[in-house]
Amino acid sequence: MFDINPTNAAPIWRQIEEGMRRMISLGTLAPGGAVPSVRELAQQLRVNPNTVARAYQRLTDAGVFAVRRGEGTFVAEVPSQLKKSERNEALRDAAGQYAGTALSVGATLAQATSELENSFERLTREHRRKA
Amino acid sequence: MSMNATIQAEDVTLRYGRKTAVDDISLSVDSGAVYALLGRNGSGKSSLVRCLLGQLKPDSGNAKLFGEDVWKHRTRLMERVGVVPEDPDAPPESRVKDLAWFSSKLYSRWQQSAFDRRIARFGIPPAGRFGELSKGQKKQVSLALALATSPEVLILDDPTLGLDVVARKSLFEEVLGEMADRGITVLITTHDLAPVEGIADRAGILKDGRLVLDEEVETLKARFRRIRFTSQPMVLAQSNLVAASVRQWGTGTEAVVSNYDDVAFARLQIPVAEVSPMSLEEIFIAVAGEEAGVES
Repeated sequence: MFDINPTNAAPIWRQIEEGMRRMISLGTLAPGGAVPSVRELAQQLRVNPNTVARAYQRLTDAGVFAVRRGEGTFVAEVPSQLKKSERNEALRDAAGQYAGTALSVGATLAQATSELENSFERLTREHRRKA
Repeated sequence: MSMNATIQAEDVTLRYGRKTAVDDISLSVDSGAVYALLGRNGSGKSSLVRCLLGQLKPDSGNAKLFGEDVWKHRTRLMERVGVVPEDPDAPPESRVKDLAWFSSKLYSRWQQSAFDRRIARFGIPPAGRFGELSKGQKKQVSLALALATSPEVLILDDPTLGLDVVARKSLFEEVLGEMADRGITVLITTHDLAPVEGIADRAGILKDGRLVLDEEVETLKARFRRIRFTSQPMVLAQSNLVAASVRQWGTGTEAVVSNYDDVAFARLQIPVAEVSPMSLEEIFIAVAGEEAGVES
């Protein structure tokens, strides 16, 4: 699972949304698989169930999750992709944070880019191994 | 004031002799929301809570639950409210199961099975005597008693005071479970915001009987940033950014800005700056001073 960071600028519902999308793209949550109930995740992350419900609702609206009445929430069989504009926005937000960290430790653009490439490759490798 | 307010103070003032303990406070907690009220001892926290519970009559203003005056309709309204006091009190020789039996006679919506299950999860023996329980266990028994009455409102008065990490975790798990199951409205008074960071929808801070801040947690966290930069604080004056606090940091400056936005900050063109989001606890200390934050 993932953790909620109290000093992250992103609201908690968005941290949950991103955490879930990340777990799906890395294969930790498989298409068609059950996701924890709102109650379980709220208790595990120690966050307000309404906040979890809000993230789940957004993921359901976006076609990432599918709700089956009486059975719970599942990862959609065909994972939906973010719209191009949404993907760009998500990248820009995260890049802003990363660039801030890089600047604050005095890294050059080349060093920052190289670390980004390393992380990208590592995560992709992990994804392939699990898939 | 919201139409949906379950807990509401309208211009509540309470005096003890010449001392004003609660000074013209208005706040409201919407149905299903969690409100964290921060204040140290003597800030008026307990007095305000006692007004909201109908135990004290405000000198002016109204305290309401479910839209009704709580002083006038105390008995009927309190049936729908669960309270976990700061220091739960019961006769030391009474057994846990006897306390439950006593409550079951008082509350029409008492659920014995909910009480039994919760006590078992907490690992407290039903035949244990109240006086022999630890402080954490007394809080747990008190919470189990409060939740077994199927309350619509739960009031937790400094729930983490004197509790270790494990007891604190199990306490909040039960509260979060109840919120998920039944959508209860929660008012938490606390001196320590870290445990309620992800739980509170709205937060208020009491200082000398006044509510000096009352805001949605999400907007609070969106507008506050800590900024560290190498130049002098004057550069901030070239923008509309408002500094809640400024201090020297090394040879540069550390400022807490209460209306941060990326565009205004980028226009300042400060060469090297570190901009960090802040936790709820850090924001409160910046707003109300060190003395309003963590204390024992």
